[in-house]
Amino acid sequence: MQQYDFKSKKISNFTFGGKIGLRILVGISVLVFSLVFAQLVSANNLALGGQKLSQIDDAIAKLEQENNNLNVEIAKVESLTNLSNKAQNMGFVKPSKVNVF
Amino acid sequence: MDRVKAFQIGIIFVIAIIVARLFYWQFVARGALSANSSSQEIIIPASRGEILTSDHFPIVTNQEAFLIYAKPREVEDSTQIAQKLAPLLVLEKYATKEASLTENDQKQKEDDIKSKEKELIDKLINKNLLWVQLARKAAKDVRSNIQNLKGLGFENDKTRFYPEASMGAHFLGFVASNKFGDDTGYFGLEGYYDSQLKGQPGRLGLDKDPYGFPILVSKYRTINTKDGDSLTLTIDRTIQFIVEEKLRQAVEKYGAKGGTVIISDPKSGHILAMATYPSYQPSLFSEFDEKLYKNPAIADTYEPGSTFKLVTMAAALDTKSVEPTTRCDICSGPRRIGGFEISTWNKKYYQNSTMTEVIQHSDNIGMTFVSEKLGLDKFYEYIDKFGFGKKTEIDLQEETSGTVREKAQWREIDLATASFGQGLAVTPIQMIQAVQVIANQGKLVSPRIVDKVVQNGKEKEIKPAFFRQVITSKTAAQITEMMVNAVEYGEAKAFAPKDYRIAGKTGTAQIPVAGHYDPNKTIASFVGFAPANDPKFVMLVRFNEPTSSPFGSETAAPTFFAIAKDVFNYLAIRPQ
Repeated sequence: MQQYDFKSKKISNFTFGGKIGLRILVGISVLVFSLVFAQLVSANNLALGGQKLSQIDDAIAKLEQENNNLNVEIAKVESLTNLSNKAQNMGFVKPSKVNVF
Repeated sequence: MDRVKAFQIGIIFVIAIIVARLFYWQFVARGALSANSSSQEIIIPASRGEILTSDHFPIVTNQEAFLIYAKPREVEDSTQIAQKLAPLLVLEKYATKEASLTENDQKQKEDDIKSKEKELIDKLINKNLLWVQLARKAAKDVRSNIQNLKGLGFENDKTRFYPEASMGAHFLGFVASNKFGDDTGYFGLEGYYDSQLKGQPGRLGLDKDPYGFPILVSKYRTINTKDGDSLTLTIDRTIQFIVEEKLRQAVEKYGAKGGTVIISDPKSGHILAMATYPSYQPSLFSEFDEKLYKNPAIADTYEPGSTFKLVTMAAALDTKSVEPTTRCDICSGPRRIGGFEISTWNKKYYQNSTMTEVIQHSDNIGMTFVSEKLGLDKFYEYIDKFGFGKKTEIDLQEETSGTVREKAQWREIDLATASFGQGLAVTPIQMIQAVQVIANQGKLVSPRIVDKVVQNGKEKEIKPAFFRQVITSKTAAQITEMMVNAVEYGEAKAFAPKDYRIAGKTGTAQIPVAGHYDPNKTIASFVGFAPANDPKFVMLVRFNEPTSSPFGSETAAPTFFAIAKDVFNYLAIRPQ
């Protein structure tokens, strides 16, 4: 395909694919850069996601531990050993006679 | 330069920059990055299963704890750290009796603190070490007291916690580190169910960036953690509490070396309470004599003495060798058998006594009469049917099978002495199992202590190991009446509650020592069930070498009745 050289004002036989080839090149470049940009955005989101996941994992572990600690405190309060000592300290005594009807 | 060429040069330049940057990150900076980010396999420890009583109270659970470590090169003042940390690590041992420490205890405590300080300083001054462990399973308040000290670090750990302190120590067992440093259960339930309780740790394989955040674009390889199974026991916490309190008081009152009580439900074989005194604290097991770890209720053998007369008589009634009204025509005095003299415990003899009276008087001569009527073959067969000489298969570690010699080794004297419970060795749990047969209309249900295993939120019931008819229900009813008669008219009648029909039998067995029997020491026991017409519980009380009185009727029987009174009230059992 012939090309008009503006500098030398001559028609040149050198071809670079012409107008269509140029458009294809530009199109491919835009596509590649768009994909690269999309990849960067995606990778950034994944990195942020990893950070969020880590925070959620930490929060879950903390809540589970707090739950466990509360269960331990409840067990301490409900233990018969504890209740018996408390009852004694408060002056309660065992009944001498119990009637079962 | 025209626009096309400029555009081409621009693209080539951008590509060149990207390639150069990629080259830098992948080759030049690789070493620095891989120090902070890499593929990691993180082990996620499994939580050990809980142990719950029948009311779903966690008698054993897990508590937050910490592994305390030091980086000796960052430690500025080893002495300060040791002086602050040592008392905190030693104090737990004395915490339960802090209010009543004797002078000796106080001195021992100070010595322990000094010794711990020295141990810590030795670890901290070694600057060749990058990392050194100072303590494992330290409590939360220990950490809060020392967390600002430079050079110390903490890792999450877990420790076993016992809200009821030493309650049930013998059947619970304890958790300690094995030679690899892993938590392992020893003795009792922790030992028997160790593989189920410990669960399986998970694994997390992932890539992390230099900030430590997971890189999600890479593979997130996981093996899920399987937390340990939990156990729901048959143990009734209130009955266990009553038993432990009364047992401790009785051992001290009767000056015994120790005592054991077992209570079970005869129909299901469920163990409602199992206690031994003296006991130990599972959370501080290393501070106690290791002889205390073994559970005497399942691992101690003893000659059962007169309580075994129930087995002999049940066998004789079941085979129709005797009837309740059969009279003993040789009971007028002591007997000589095989060169040995057999006599009664109180040197009283009752000619022509009925079988019911033989049990009531706990008459050894009468029992030799019964065993001769029964014969060795039948007697041996029933000893086996009642479960003696082999394990009950209760789900606890360290059960023993007792000792019953081979039938071929029995001589005439052995038939006689075995009829009243001498010359063979049984465990307390075997005696309970045998008396359960009488209370359960002749049916044997093997005892067990775990009712359900909770796995991933689902409950799986544990069935008895075996179940069989040993004697007929008629025989069971006959022997029950003999036992009621023994309680109402026997040597323990003074202590029995008047409003309830209790079936029971005393036992006073001599202790064999180096080929003969010790003249002064005994095993005093009482076994029975109530209410006699519809038994709700079977109980065995046993004392080792009581000093106030050697007899079961004066030590074990009153303790049995004292516990039974509280159990009647708790279970709302009306007087008969």
